[in-house]
This record gives sequence, C-alpha cells and structure tokens, in this order.
Amino acid sequence: MSTSSNITTTQETPEMNAPDLHLLERPPQVLNNRGPLWVTDAVCSIVEGKTPLWWYAAIAFTGTFAAIGGACILYMICTGVGVWGSNSPCFWAWDITNFIFWVSMAHAGSLISALLFLTRQKWSLSISRAAEAMTVFAIVCAGVYPAIHIGRVWFVWFLFPVPNSYGMWPNFSSPLLWDVFAVTSYLTVSSLFWFAGMVPDLAVLRDRATTKIRKFAYGIVSLGWLGTARQWRHYEMMYVLLAGLTSVLVVTVTTIVASDCATSVVPGWHATIFPFYFMVGAVYSGSAAILTLLLPLRLIYPQLRDLITSSQLDKVCKLLLLMGSCVGYVYVFELFNAWYSANPFERGAFWERFTGSSAWYAITCLSINLTVPQLFWFKAVRRCLPLVFVLAILCNVGMWFERFMIVTSTLTHDFLPSSWKDFHPTIVDILTATGTLGIFFTLFLLFIRFVPIMSMNELKATLPGAQPHGDAGHSNHSTEAMR
Amino acid sequence: MPPLKKIFQHPLRDLKPTLWRSQGERENSTAFTEGLALEFTPGVTEVNAEQDENGLSRRDFVRLMGAATALTGVGLTGCRRPEAHLVPFAKSAEWTIPGKYLYYASSMPTPAGAVPLTITTADGRPTKIEGNPLHPASNGSTDVFAQASILGLYDPNRSKEITRHSVKVSRADLDALIAKIRSTAGSNGGDGLAIVVGKENSPTVERLRTELASQFPKLLWVQDEAIQTNEDSFDALLGIGVRPVYDFEKADVILSLGSDFLNPSESGLGFAKGFAKRRDPKNSVGTMNRLYVVENHFSLTGGMADHRLRVRASEIGDFTAALAKVIATKSGDTPLFSLAGAYPSTGVSFDPAWVNGVADDLIAAKGKGVVIAGPGQSAAVQALALGINNTLGNLGSTINAVQTTAKPAAKLADLSKAMSSGSVKTLLILEGNPVLTAPVELNVANLIAGVPETLHLSQFADETSKVTHWQVPAAHYLERWGDARSIDGTVSSVQPMILPLWNGVSSLEILASLAGEKVDGPSVVRNTFAAVSKASTDTAWNEFLRNGFADGTAWPVSKPSLNPSAAAAAIQSTPKTDPKDFEVVFLRSSSVDDGRYANNSWLQETPDYVTKLVWDNAALVSPADAQMLGIKDGDWLKIIAGDRSIEAAALIAPGHVDKSLSISLGYGRKGVSHVMDKVGFDAYPLRDSSSLCFRSGVKVQALPREPYVFARTQEHQNMEGRNIARVGTLATFQKQPEFASEMDGELTKPISIYPNPPLTSDLQWGLSVDLNSCIGCNACIVACQAENNIPVVGKDQVRRGRDMAWIRIDRWFASADHKEESLEMIPMAVMCQQCESAPCEAVCPANATVHSEEGLNLMAYNRCIGTRYCANNCPWKVRRFNWFDYNERPLDELYYGPLAPKGMADSLKMSKNPNVTVRMRGVMEKCTFCIQRIEEAKIARSVKAGASDVTKTPLPAFKTACQQACPSESIVFGNINDPKSAVSEAKADPRTYSSLAYLNTRPRVTYMARIRNPNPAMPGADLVGSANRGAEHVEHS
Repeated sequence: MSTSSNITTTQETPEMNAPDLHLLERPPQVLNNRGPLWVTDAVCSIVEGKTPLWWYAAIAFTGTFAAIGGACILYMICTGVGVWGSNSPCFWAWDITNFIFWVSMAHAGSLISALLFLTRQKWSLSISRAAEAMTVFAIVCAGVYPAIHIGRVWFVWFLFPVPNSYGMWPNFSSPLLWDVFAVTSYLTVSSLFWFAGMVPDLAVLRDRATTKIRKFAYGIVSLGWLGTARQWRHYEMMYVLLAGLTSVLVVTVTTIVASDCATSVVPGWHATIFPFYFMVGAVYSGSAAILTLLLPLRLIYPQLRDLITSSQLDKVCKLLLLMGSCVGYVYVFELFNAWYSANPFERGAFWERFTGSSAWYAITCLSINLTVPQLFWFKAVRRCLPLVFVLAILCNVGMWFERFMIVTSTLTHDFLPSSWKDFHPTIVDILTATGTLGIFFTLFLLFIRFVPIMSMNELKATLPGAQPHGDAGHSNHSTEAMR
Repeated sequence: MPPLKKIFQHPLRDLKPTLWRSQGERENSTAFTEGLALEFTPGVTEVNAEQDENGLSRRDFVRLMGAATALTGVGLTGCRRPEAHLVPFAKSAEWTIPGKYLYYASSMPTPAGAVPLTITTADGRPTKIEGNPLHPASNGSTDVFAQASILGLYDPNRSKEITRHSVKVSRADLDALIAKIRSTAGSNGGDGLAIVVGKENSPTVERLRTELASQFPKLLWVQDEAIQTNEDSFDALLGIGVRPVYDFEKADVILSLGSDFLNPSESGLGFAKGFAKRRDPKNSVGTMNRLYVVENHFSLTGGMADHRLRVRASEIGDFTAALAKVIATKSGDTPLFSLAGAYPSTGVSFDPAWVNGVADDLIAAKGKGVVIAGPGQSAAVQALALGINNTLGNLGSTINAVQTTAKPAAKLADLSKAMSSGSVKTLLILEGNPVLTAPVELNVANLIAGVPETLHLSQFADETSKVTHWQVPAAHYLERWGDARSIDGTVSSVQPMILPLWNGVSSLEILASLAGEKVDGPSVVRNTFAAVSKASTDTAWNEFLRNGFADGTAWPVSKPSLNPSAAAAAIQSTPKTDPKDFEVVFLRSSSVDDGRYANNSWLQETPDYVTKLVWDNAALVSPADAQMLGIKDGDWLKIIAGDRSIEAAALIAPGHVDKSLSISLGYGRKGVSHVMDKVGFDAYPLRDSSSLCFRSGVKVQALPREPYVFARTQEHQNMEGRNIARVGTLATFQKQPEFASEMDGELTKPISIYPNPPLTSDLQWGLSVDLNSCIGCNACIVACQAENNIPVVGKDQVRRGRDMAWIRIDRWFASADHKEESLEMIPMAVMCQQCESAPCEAVCPANATVHSEEGLNLMAYNRCIGTRYCANNCPWKVRRFNWFDYNERPLDELYYGPLAPKGMADSLKMSKNPNVTVRMRGVMEKCTFCIQRIEEAKIARSVKAGASDVTKTPLPAFKTACQQACPSESIVFGNINDPKSAVSEAKADPRTYSSLAYLNTRPRVTYMARIRNPNPAMPGADLVGSANRGAEHVEHS
C-alpha cells in the first residue's frame, strides 16, 4: 500500500504522469463530484426526514422476534437449561453456536473500521460506521448467550474476580473466564470506538436540529463538540489510539473464543489451528454481513449510491474471497491433520462428522463455504449487486452451519461411542436464536433512524480540495494529528 | 428558636366564675393554671418526648418511619429467601447420636431366598441397604432389587389405608373380619377358605401353615409365583423338597442350558462370587474355568461365556438330548443314551463340532463340571441335565442337594378350579398380584370377583385389589417382623427398621390372627425361632437379631440321586414343540422382576442389562428376523399366540436367536399409578399354564404404525475400533501378560505443563474395575443412586440424554467377523475416573471443580454455576447436569417451570442420605468416590489417633457404595499409597490398563482386561476374545 501511495503522490506533477499510471489511480470515494454540503445533506436526511412506513413495519417485525426471544430467555431462566435441546454429551449446542456466530460477525466490523483506518484504506470510510454498529450489536447478541446459558444465572457474578470473604477467585486458567474479560472489554472498546467516531457527526445533527427535543438529545450525545482545532487535535489522537486498541482486540478476542475449543481435549476441537480458523471465519462472516446490511440500505436510500460506491463494494467482495479461501484452506487442513495424526479418535471425529448424523449440516457448511466465495473471482459476479446480496446471505448461512458443525458434531461424537447422542433443537432453541436476530435488526433499524450512518467528517475529508496541504488521496487529518 | 405561637395570656378571672369548664377552673387551682400555661406551649411534644421512656419524639418517629419505608423499597427486603428452621428432636430415636448412622441386620425375603442385609438408619430412618457380610449365603453384597427396596419403602404411591369396597375402614374392622373368618372356619373346618401366598421361604409362614392346616383341615393353601422356579421338576426328579445346589468355585467346565445363573436376581448372590474366583487368570493359571452357554437371548451369563450358542428356548431340550447322546456314547452310559433317545426331537440339528467340543470338554473335566438348565426349561431338560451330570460324576462333587423344608402346595390352577365350582367362600390373597400374573386361561379376575368375601394384602392398590372387596396395605419388609430362609436354608431375621409409614399390615399378622396366635411385636417370629434353632433364650434371640441369622440352621447337604423312572416319565410327558413358527420367551425383567417393582422409579430408570432400555420393555428380535419382518427399532409387532395376541414395539437385539422373541414380564400395567403408566407392554396375556416360560407356535406380524419411541441410555454399542474395553484370551495372557496396557502402543512420558495441585496426603484414593469378573448386574448403579441421592429424571429426559446415574455400565458388543455367531458382550462400569490431571478442572471458570490433596476430583455444588464446560471436556462423559429441578418438580411437569408445583413428597425426603447434598437445578454433579464415607472414616481415624500421629493410625475399613454392592467383587477401592491395600494389588495386576491413557489425564480408575478362555477344539475358537482385533492404535512420536 505504501508503494501505491508513492505512485499517487506523483499525480501532483502532471508532466511525470505516465500514460499507464492512471490505471492505478484510485477511484474517488464520493462519486459525481459531490460537495461537502451534499454529503451532509445526504447522510443527515435519513435521520431528519419523516420516518418512512417501511421502517415502522420492519421494526414491528424484528421487535416481535426480539420480544419472543426475550420471553424464551425468561422462560429458560425460570425453568432450567433443559428447555433447550442440549444433552449429554452435547452439553453446549445452539447457545455456543450462536455465541460464536455473533461474536465472529462482530470482528469484521472492527477489523474494517479500525485496521483499515490504521492502514489508511480510504475505501472503507463509507461503510465503517455501519460496520462498527454491526460490531456493537453483534456483541450484544453474542453476550446474551454466555450470560444466560449457565445453569444458575443468578450466580453469574462468580465469573468476576470480586473480592470476597472466602478468598475465592475465578479459575484464571479457564478459557471461559478469558471469554468474560475478552467479550466485556471488546464490547466496551468497540462501543467507545463507535461512539467516539460519531461525536462530530452528532454535533452536525445537533446544529441542524429544528426541534427542541432533537437539539437537546443530540446536544447531550455530542458532548459539547464545537469543532475547534484543539478538539480536533485531541479527537484525532484518541481515535487513533482506540483504533489501535480495537485492532488488537479483534485478534485477541477471536483467539480467546477459539481457545474455548482449542484448549479442550475433545477430538475435533483440540487443534492449534483454531485461532486462525476463527479469525478468518470471523472476517469472512462479518464481511458477508456488512454486504447483507448495506446493499438493501443503498437500495432504499438512492443518495447513498454516490457514497457507497461499487468499487468499495468490490473491495469488500475481494475481502470475502480472500477470507473465504482461508476458511476453505482450514477445512482441508483439518481433515489432513486428522488423517496425519494417525489418532483413531481424531480420525473418528471427522469421519463421524461427515458420515454420521451430522453429515447434512457438515456438508451444507462445506459446500457453501468452499464454493460461494470462489465465485467472487469473477468481476461480473462482484459487480452484480443482487447476486452479491444473495451470495453474502449464503455465506452467512454457511458460517452459521460452520459454527453449528464445530460445536455440535464434535460434542455428539467424542471419545466413547457409548456416550454418543445426537442433538435436536427445541422450539425454545429456535425462538431464542431468532430472538437474537430480532434484537440485532431492531438495534440496526434504530441505528439507521437516529444516528448518522456514515462518518460525514471523514468522508468530507476525502473530497477534492478538502486537504489544504495536498490531495485527499494520500494525506489526511490523522497524519496531521500524529505529527 | 423563637416560639412559633404567641403565648396566650388569659385574662384574670373573677374568683368565682359563673361558667366553668372543669372543676379545676372553677376552683382556679394551681394545677389548672400551670396546665393552662402549658396547653399551647411550642415544642410541647418534645417536652413530652423527654418523658417518654423510649426517648422517641414524634419527629424522630416520622423520620425513622420515612427512612424505613425508603429502605424497604430500595433494599427490596421482600425478595429474601423464605425462612427455614432447624428443629432438634424433641424426643430422640432410640440409641441415636445425631449425624451418626445405626446399622441393623435384617434380610429381604425373595422367592429365590432371603437376601441377607445390613441396614443403615439415620435418625431412625432406614436410608441404605448393604449385604450382611457375616451371613454364610452372602458375601456382603446385594442385588439390584435389594438396593432399590429402600425407595419401595418410601414410595408415596403405596397403598395407605385399609379399604372395604373402596371405603376407608379401621384396623378394628380388619381384626373383626379375621375373627369372623376364624370363627366360621373353626365351625366348618376351613371349608370354603382359601389363602394365596407368595414364595417367601419364611419358617414362620411354614409353621403357621401347619398350624392352620391342623385347625382347619379343609383350608385351601395356594402358593403362587409368577415366574417359574422348577420346584415341581426337582420334587419329582430328586425327591420332595430336594433342590440342587451348585458349587461353581469347584467347577472347571460349566455348561448353561438357558440358565442365567450369574444373575443375582435369579439365583442369589453366591454363584457370581464362586464363578468369579475361578476367573482370575493370574491366581488360577491352568485352572481358569470355561463357560459354555446355550441360550436364545443375551443374558448376563451369556455375556460371560467363552463359547455361546444361540438356540431357541424351545430347542434347548433338543440340544441337551443331542449332547446327552454324545456324552452317553463316549462314556458308554446306555441308560443316559436311552433317556436322551426318548426325547421327542423337533428334528432340529446342531453343529456336531460344537456338541462334540462341549462333550469332550465336559468329559475331560469329569467330576469338575456343571451342566445347569435354566428354570424356564421343562422337567425333561432338567432330567437330561441331571442325567449328564450323573454320568460325568458331577453329582456329589460340584452339584449337591439340600433337603429343604418346602412342602408342595396347591397351585393357582387348583384355586381356579375351586372358585369356578363355587366352593371358595372366603379368599385371602396375601401379597402377590394373581390378576396380573396368572396364566390367562385360568380367568382369575372374574373368578375372584365371584367369591363372596375377598381380601388382598398388597403394597399397592393394584389389578387384584380392584376385584377384591378388601384392600389392606402390606407392610414393607423394613416395617415388619419376619423371618426367611436364605438360599442355603439359613434362617435369617427380618426386623422392622421403622414403624409402618401408612397403616401397613404384615401377612404374618393376618396368618397368626387366623391361627388364633396373639400377635405382639416379634412374638410370632420368636415362637418359630424357638422351634427351628432349638435355643429359646434371650441371648440366642438377641444374637439372631444382631447377626441377622441363626447359625447352623442351613439345610443338610447330601449327594443328589436322580430318580431314573421319574426322569423317564418327565421325558415321555414332554410335549413336542412346533419348530415352524416363532416362539416367545417370557423374561424376568431386570428392572421390575415380575412386575412387583413396577412402581420403583429407581429400577424403572436402571437400564436393562443388555438392551440398555429404561422405562420400557420391548419385544426383542434378532437382526435377521428384523430384516425378514422389515422392521426397525420401535416398530410395532403383533404377537399372536393361539386366540390371544398382544401388540408390542420391537427392539433389535444383537446375539438373539432367529425365529424367537423375548419379552420381559411386568410391564404395560394400567390404572395403578402414574409411575407405571405408559411404561412398556404387557406380555402376561400370552402366557398359559403350559407355557409359563416360553411359548412356541407363535405368529408375528409387523404393524404399519408410527414407531414407538424407546429411551436407551446407550445408543451406540460398537467400540468403533477404539480400545476401550480390552479383551484377550488366556493364551494371549500367558504369552503376553501385559497385553492390555501394551495396546496403548508406546506412550510418551507423562509430562504436564499445567502445575497440578500437589498430592501431599498419605491417603491417595484409587479404584480398580475387573472387567473379567464384572457381569454387568446393575447392583452398583442402584447402590450409588441410593447412597448419593441421585434423582430420577423420567423417560422423556432419558430419551433426551439426561440420565443422572453417576456410575453407568457401558455394554459393548464386539465380533471380529461381524457375524452374530461370534458376537461377544462386554459390560464396562464407568464412573468418574478421578483424573490426576483432570480436563474438567482446568476449564471450570468458577473454580467449582478442584483437586484435593488426596487425588480426588471434588465438586463444590455451591460454587457451580452450570457452564457445563467441564462435562464437555470430560472424555468419559461421566458428569451429570441438573437440567431441571429434578428433585423438586414433578417429572411430567418439568417444562412448566415455576407453574409446576414445587416440593418433594415427605416420604421421599426421608429416604435421602443426610450426609449428601441434594442438588438443585443448574448444578453439575458426578461420582465423588463416596466422599462422605471417606470423610467419615478419616474423622474416625482422627478420633482414634487423638494426639498421636494421625498418618500412622490405620484407617477404619470402608467401601464405596458400588464396591460394597458388587456381587462379584469386581470393584476394588482404597488407598493406592498403601502397597498392601487391595487396590494397590489390583493395580499391580498385569491386566491393568487405563482407559484413554493417551490423553495423559492419569485416571485414578483403572480397568483389568477381560480374559476369555476358549476351547481350541470348538468352532470359531479363533474369534473368541477378539474385541480389539483390527483396532487402530494411537501413534506417539
């Protein structure tokens, strides 16, 4: 990337501009030579306009599922974990499947906004806010499961190192405890990162507000932002630091979640490849989720087409391709490893996974995740947005099945065949799972309606002439701040 | 503060007011004028407060009220747990020290003979049952039914009131009835009086029977047991009351002809131990016994067989005849040959190599062999088996005879005849349930309903109670006085441990009252004791009660002599069986016996030995028959025998013979209690008097219907090429004694990067399971359940994989050539392996499962929050999770959550072991090596040691519950730090191996490989003991 940045610098001297170099010229971040005011109007109009009817319909739909999910959780807590289909040997099933599914999805959001921000990838600016929101909401959904899936939820505080008269501490060698720290710190930092990035934009909404309530509400959340040079200076510094922290957390949290499996002795879980496996799977599923969320948004709000450009979406597709291929590599490697280990238990676990009762979902998972991302090799596929939408949903489905396969097929077929037993979800399992989907989409709908869905300040900084000291393509305010 | 109110100055009055409001004012007294000044003084309330003894002013009061109200709201004190009180005994139970158990000797009467017991009572409640190690017919162990009888005592569904025509009556009414019957019988010599009793082997019942018979000569005394025990055959073949007894410790070669003699429920506890003694290849090199089994379905004994032949129950006679012929020919015994020749053959033929192989082996072991025919086999088969034993010289050496005191009694058929002729006027059914169990053609239910006065004494208001006028709750054997003979004839005591919980009456009380004997506590039993033991002193009686038996009362043993003419008659009277159609074999259920334990939920949830089925029975079919009928597990079958038929769901049973069905009795009962409801299929309607054990000529149809759903605790029976249960042959063992541990290949040096807690104690607990002697009889499962307060979860929950048993018996099937003929069964008891480097401990986030310095993997229930990670990470899957509040909620309303009624029946609360926590929902639990027993022993040691070094004081002997119950002594527990302990010796055995050793969790439970002793001359001998053949080995770098 640094070389390309050198090349684009040469644009400043037109006489050095070789004819073929324009191929490497980056496409503009905002199309059709839109000005800063247009960007502000385009983003703010979504929040400021009259609430559309579809929004009410959608939130009623997702809210119902969320409420049913909440009722299921309440029922589960006052009745017992037995209302789920979990059993011996499959003590974890959809609870942990969905936990991993959501927490993994969260990672892509952080990765896209934080890591790409740090590496100066301007193309992600238009999608980063939505991606961060997705992260926070997905962590909320993920966090529901570990909190409620335990047998005695009223003692969940035993998981926290609360000083007590017994001198009892949690077991610091348990990956589940690491999970507690990882997920809570991840939720804290990613929420901060998301919120901090919004402050200047919320101030814009405050300044544009026409009603007292809006002015008051946005006034509270914009924390007195005035846009002074001093505020910007502090803001930029904090934002870079939070981005750095988030990027580290992306890696550590996936690794820790992967440790839940990898540190166990269960054949099919006990593998050192798991952190990498979960990491690539996370970015893969998260990228697919971003596409699933943004493509309909772009359809509903046509003005966003100049902001979320097809070249940006193309790049997300390429990310999906890369990560999908890594996931495919891990699948093949796992199988190779099981064979190469010459361990009958390892071999048996994978043999049962693909020939036993879990075959249908294991094969579904593999057939989707090995083939669908490979379609993104073709530019025609990447540019056909309806197709991209369908494929992205397929990738999400494939990834859910992957989580289901990892958790369930492994546990149902462990060491002693005498303990083997299949898992069958109950209606409570299903409604709780759809309930988290409901929570996620409800939160996302609220996000669309009440918060600027794009980082206006960053987008405007990429407009031609926005940077007094150079072109928008290679220099930005944050470098200024870091000096 | 300035006064808030102006002090009102009253104007001076005329000394003599014309109007006054009080006498004080009128007189203008000093008290009045002072009081007037104070009337409206500011701060007057404060002034009053100073006078208040509490020092509480109005303002203080309002202030405190406000604060309290606020705190009530903020602190939500209304959400506290309900208050509970610990109340000490107002009156102590006799001899009890709170928290200490008392032990009493007693025994459980069963048809096979009394099971000698030691009963643990806590604060006057019996809570646990153990074997009586002093008793000659016991080895201190118990069977599954004795273990579960503690729940039978506290069963809340027991009949609780004496009723007449379903209306509650008093005990006095019952006594009046008995007095009336006695006076009527006294006047007419007992004409029209019939008494039905079960086989209880009680000397007092025998005495009272004689007494009654002399008083009422016309009395009809009927003895009935649902499951046949061949009494008549032996009466005819060996003499009245003579029964064979087998000494398996002396037997080199054993042939079982459909006999499940290793099953303690069938033949008492002694056989398994004697057999196991000759099974250890190390201690009995060259003399390890060899077991041949001929049977139709896999029994426990069949699972132990070195060579097993699948033969239909109706053709075992043909096999016996064929074998008898070969043995007669080879040993030149013409009488035996002619006896066998007279057997009406169905024309079926057997592999001559098999028959010759067994015959040669039996002949070679002359005088040291046993041929035993099952109780279900006819007198002809018994005659042939005894004939073979006679020829081989086994009678008098391995097989002896006892002259029992049993006298022949009338049968249910005789009663039926009498009832249909109308000659029975009064019928007393003392325990037993003939309406359910009687052969169908006797039409017992209708006949009983026609008798003018009927009484049923039973623990449950069951099928028979519904047709009798009187229903009297029977006292449980733990609630009453009694006596019973054990299998060798030793008179054993039955003592009440507790007063009858619900107005229970014992059959002895009724019989004694009928005989006119005064019933006063143990008086009836003591009268008998004086007669049988010839010592009537208080000392002798007290010793009898203390030891639980009277020494020297065993029946005399002699050499049995087969009556040749009776044998010939038995063979001649054998009906020819029809070989074409199916046969159906009626089995004693491993859970409910003949149906008598159907309300015992512990037993209902104890898996069948072989099928691992709970809360159901099934029609067992062979895999080939299932294919022929086109059925799978759970598919419905219509079984038609003559003009009767039943419908039952089928279960494919590996190792079952073709053209044969097996079905357990005692299931499919309706309308007795909710526990028995929707449980299994009733097979009694297929039985008639001529086919009490099996019936041939049965037609079977598959019904196209939605399959029945079974609940099994083990769904997968193949080891999948994994060396879990390890088996070898005697030859392998002699060549390579450590073959079992060598199956692991070369294990890497046990290193761990995780610092395990130091094992510093002088006590290091370990356990060893000998797969060679474990027969898989389930006694350990129920013993553990009783000791550790393990809840029952119900069929639906078991189906969902949520059974709670801390110890389970995995039953593996293995066959090297994948043929039914060479199928072997290996039971393997699995409990928490107490790994030194436990995978469960490392992953628990709450530190709820931790290691002790004694090497125990502890479970802190209070700390457990139920993440279930430990169970996921347990390679043996021995951890059990309380998915629901199994102890507190009705099992059929688990899913109603807080809407279901909460609480446990009071009587069930009494059954709990007070030293073990009853776990709530959301908590993980598992085997603790009976830590409460360990701690009890350690406390006793500390007390004994006093100020001296506690580690140098020997620990009092104790056993874990599973170990104590095990009839074959397969489970050995103890301190592995002590090289002289039994467990250290067991672990030093060359057969010892760790299961899943490659994981390096260092389990404290080890297994000793099973050794088979095949006869090389037998067909398929090379396949015996090959369960691990072709298994993959873990390779280590």
